[in-house]
Amino acid sequence: MSTLTKNSREGSAETSAGTAIFAQDLSKAYRIYDKPIHRLYELVLPGKKLHREFWAVRNVYLDIARGSTVGIIGENGAGKSSLLKLLTGITQPTTGSVKVQGRVASLLELGAGFHPEFSGRDNIKLNCSVLGMSDAEIAERYPKIVEFSELGDFIDRPVKTYSSGMYVRLGFSVAASVDPDILLIDEALSVGDEHFRGKCINRLNDFRDQGKTIIFVSHDMGAVKSMCQWVVLMDKGEILEQGTAEKVADEYLKRAKARGNERMSAINRGTSAYPRWCSGEIEVTDVDMLGGDGQPAHAFTTGEAFTVRLRWKAHQDTKEPVFGLGLYRSDGTYVNGSNHEWRDKPIHLRDVKAGESGEVEMSAGALQLLQGQYYLTTFVYEHAKASPTAIDHREHVHTFEVIDPRRLQHGMLFLNSRWTVRRRKDGAVTSEESPS
Amino acid sequence: MLALARSLSRNRRLLGDFVVRDLRGRYIGSSMGFFWSVVYPFLNLFIYMFVFGLVLKVRFSDEVNKGQVALWMLAGITVWAAFGETISRSTNTLVENQNLIQKVVFPSEILPSFLCISSLINMCIGLPIVILGVLVFVNFPNLLGDPLPLAPLTDPAKEMSMPPLGLGWSLLALPLLMALQAIFTVGIGYFLAALNLFLRDVYHLMGVFVTVWMFATPIFYPPQKVVMEGYGWILAVNPMHWLISCYREVLIFGAWPDWLLLAKFAAIGVVLLFLGSRFFLWQKPQFPDLL
Repeated sequence: MSTLTKNSREGSAETSAGTAIFAQDLSKAYRIYDKPIHRLYELVLPGKKLHREFWAVRNVYLDIARGSTVGIIGENGAGKSSLLKLLTGITQPTTGSVKVQGRVASLLELGAGFHPEFSGRDNIKLNCSVLGMSDAEIAERYPKIVEFSELGDFIDRPVKTYSSGMYVRLGFSVAASVDPDILLIDEALSVGDEHFRGKCINRLNDFRDQGKTIIFVSHDMGAVKSMCQWVVLMDKGEILEQGTAEKVADEYLKRAKARGNERMSAINRGTSAYPRWCSGEIEVTDVDMLGGDGQPAHAFTTGEAFTVRLRWKAHQDTKEPVFGLGLYRSDGTYVNGSNHEWRDKPIHLRDVKAGESGEVEMSAGALQLLQGQYYLTTFVYEHAKASPTAIDHREHVHTFEVIDPRRLQHGMLFLNSRWTVRRRKDGAVTSEESPS
Repeated sequence: MLALARSLSRNRRLLGDFVVRDLRGRYIGSSMGFFWSVVYPFLNLFIYMFVFGLVLKVRFSDEVNKGQVALWMLAGITVWAAFGETISRSTNTLVENQNLIQKVVFPSEILPSFLCISSLINMCIGLPIVILGVLVFVNFPNLLGDPLPLAPLTDPAKEMSMPPLGLGWSLLALPLLMALQAIFTVGIGYFLAALNLFLRDVYHLMGVFVTVWMFATPIFYPPQKVVMEGYGWILAVNPMHWLISCYREVLIFGAWPDWLLLAKFAAIGVVLLFLGSRFFLWQKPQFPDLL
């Protein structure tokens, strides 16, 4: 659902003509009460303080030029949405002020306020009037909204029968029909099918071409980078850094990796529950994943050097043990499996005696995995027998995260691809090549 | 109060849309649709006639018969329904519409008002039935049925008589009564709506409170009975009793309301609206944080 705030909310004396949004020392504290009744006590007994404060936004200064597209990025809970609510005027700042010049529309939640029993048509009309459109405006835009939504016959059915994608489509269609000077978007585009997403992005591009100001909030660096020239990085309610997308991306990546490591190690503390079956002659005692800097990590960037190191210890004599590794995506897709024997130049490890120990390393070179969560499985199998048997098979040893800052390719795997585009024009052939 | 009036008039279109949506939403999906607005009061009437007339044998007097009592109750039920519904729905309306309040710059002050308007319009569907009933019984008095009660009176001196049914020009006072009812109702509604955000228990308390208040108001039993039993003070402090007796004068007895009583009601209504809307607008900037 979006919102229109007509006219400028505050005087524009201090702001220059080229400024769309000017926020000064903006902070928002939410009050947290241990018991709901304390809120009431505070109301009837002034001067009594029974709450703690939670600062969702702290000392934010923003000066957003008219016609620019600005991305606000940060992890969940960084205060992005709270900031957006302040800029829209839905919530009141605890300190500081916001000056907005022009009509503001915010897409905080698509389809908020839809009534499930009513048809799409009825909801469009009501939604439009919530947005502050006049009868004439609604009459004029109504057909366009219906067309944009591509809901077909569903437009006359109750909204409760819609799929969540259809719901969002209707919501965005209404929101896209408003004609604001400043558009605030909160990750609303991450829904719907590819086709509809494309339409939404087209609509946003139109907005931009018309010289309108767009503020785009997301935790997805890729989306922000493709849309915005200027990026604001938030963390714990504060602005950490702002600048061009490239400049902020590095800082963001560093934090994302640190946080990924933190999150993954939290996940990994609980992985002992995964199955492990073994006959026990050889035990894998440690499994480390090493990043480009040679240090153990649980978050890697695409293209970073990636090594897995196993430490093992033999408890009994073994004829022909083979160590192997399996990589899986979090959904269970088997990405890659290999061992040191099945190779053009195999390494044979024979007649291991009790008491021996050692290491096995697999170096993948530059990591070819794209953004996502993956996990690692280790195997030690006895290959002396006709069909190998498990000596130590550990499922899900580590969960790790791959971060792909560049987002040049999509899917699971980075291909070292090379592109050629040939063009024939008036008998002449030109060819352009993008090397791998 | 002026700030409220200004905002409501600025957002009158939205207010209108909400009223229309609510009226349509009441019975959307039900096969009888608006007919329910007619059926509900009747169903209630039958229940209460049965309980109070037949089981508990609440007595009026020997001259008062079933038809009169039925209309007398129906008038009370119809008015009370609009009032009770508005205040209990108002209490929860901010919570119900939190999506709008938290995600949109939304004039939340239209919420209790639209509920009040919607239920008054709904009441307007019920009132003609009362009037129709009066017309029928005035023209065909033999349809009125046996006198209530069925048990013998113990003390004829304390009989609760009732003037004859009738209709007259006094129906012109209906819009005034409804306007005053709106002011009174919405004043309470604003206060409760905002208060409920501080303590959600208010909503649950209201369910009980509305019922207690309803039974404390002479809707199903003659007010004289209360006085007789020595609880006259309850009637003296119950504005809804004043309002409902004014409605009855106008609707079923064809008389003008007691102007003094009505003035008292109006005064209380204005004070409540003043306080309620002050409290609501004072807390309004906080609403998105409180939800």
